[in-house]
Amino acid sequence: MSTVTTSIQESFNAFRAELDDYNDRRERLIKTIFLLHRIAQGDVGETADDVELGKRAAQQGYQKLREIQGHFSKLQPELEGDKFWRYQRQVSPGLQEYIEALSLAHYLDHGSLITYEEVQRTLVDPQGIEYFPLPVSDYLLGLSDLTGELMRFAISSIARRGGRKKASQVCAFVRACKADFERMTPYIRELSKKQAVTAQSLEKIEDAAYAIVVRSSEYDLPPDMLDDIVAQSVSNYHSYGDETRQASGHRRGSGMSDDEDD
Amino acid sequence: MDAPELERINALLDRDVELREKIKEQVNELDKKTRTMIGVLNKIHSTPPESMSALLDPVRLTLSSCQEATSALAELIPKNQFWRWKDMWSNSIRTAVFSAALIQYLSNRSLLSLGQASEILGIKAEWNDRMTLPVEDYLHGLISLVNELSRLAVNAVTLGNFEEPIKISIFVKELFAGFSMLNLKNDTLRRRFDSLKYDIKKIEEVVYDVSLRKLAEVPQTNSP
Repeated sequence: MSTVTTSIQESFNAFRAELDDYNDRRERLIKTIFLLHRIAQGDVGETADDVELGKRAAQQGYQKLREIQGHFSKLQPELEGDKFWRYQRQVSPGLQEYIEALSLAHYLDHGSLITYEEVQRTLVDPQGIEYFPLPVSDYLLGLSDLTGELMRFAISSIARRGGRKKASQVCAFVRACKADFERMTPYIRELSKKQAVTAQSLEKIEDAAYAIVVRSSEYDLPPDMLDDIVAQSVSNYHSYGDETRQASGHRRGSGMSDDEDD
Repeated sequence: MDAPELERINALLDRDVELREKIKEQVNELDKKTRTMIGVLNKIHSTPPESMSALLDPVRLTLSSCQEATSALAELIPKNQFWRWKDMWSNSIRTAVFSAALIQYLSNRSLLSLGQASEILGIKAEWNDRMTLPVEDYLHGLISLVNELSRLAVNAVTLGNFEEPIKISIFVKELFAGFSMLNLKNDTLRRRFDSLKYDIKKIEEVVYDVSLRKLAEVPQTNSP
């Protein structure tokens, strides 16, 4: 009887060690991922504000992203071999945030969507060994978040010189992204939710573009002078929330003027 | 996205879907087998001890046929991706572990070890990045075993086997002491661990009834 007891105790001792190891590692990963969240969010905010500086903003973004890559490289031993998929659920939020920031910097730099290969290539050590395999789902979900950032970028740049052209470029780009993701939605569970958010962002950009077209038709001016007028009239509005309110307010205003005509 | 990139992403996604379907097929096979075993093992509650081994022998055969499913899964799972797909079969594998542990207990009143469980299911150590038996699933199987034994304690008495509840009581208490050593997080394992207390209570009540009426000898040396 006593031998049975000791063997049970011995094996459960081993189980305890293994479960503790799992839980500790899980917590360490969550901590690092939270850290990445904070850095990535700060990074996105900065690049989005710094519109005029396009490429230079992207360069700054890359600098910060390198810091994040440093954190990912520290995760490498924790996620070796089969361990990556065991902890993938813990890693993926931070990874998506990173891809969002990276793809925005890439867009500002090249005006195109970063490819899967390019993202994976940022996550390798100097010997070219991947820190961990990049899941396609995280790549696509990260890109899906990019559309929201681009919406902010487009709306806040409308007020600036040459921003209207940029906004219409972004509008076309986001539209293309949405179309591309549509076909992949059935494969990835969370993507359909993000598609809805993308649709909202796209609509906001389209509304803003519409408002600009309607209003600028009232003036028969070259684009340069129009830039000045727009800059003046929106100088009181800073956040995109005000911008969109202004756009919808415009429509309501035209409705009211119809009433007055009657 | 340009056309080649779009194609590459779609190819990657299609590959995953295809793999998922193939795994699903194997898991269904495994599921059929575990259900058959559970069906037969239900009869232990109405089987007298002398005909128990006749009942268990066909279940052993089904159990070893689970090896086909596990080796097929090990073939399918890409290197290092065990944890990506394991959720698809963890329920079936837990049931298989439970069946194996129950057979082992009924045969010689001993506890099936993790190594033995892996061996019975045909899971080879060199597959460990594709197919393995995680501690968690093994422990889930053991909790199911205790759940089942608490029923067996009651039904054994009905069949006139008054010794069985006492053996079960000793076995389950040792197992419970083992589980108490674990630092469980607030997950499903933890919740199921809590159910063990009710099982122990039920078994103790049966032991009490049996010993009160002097239907069986309760060994006193067991109490610490």
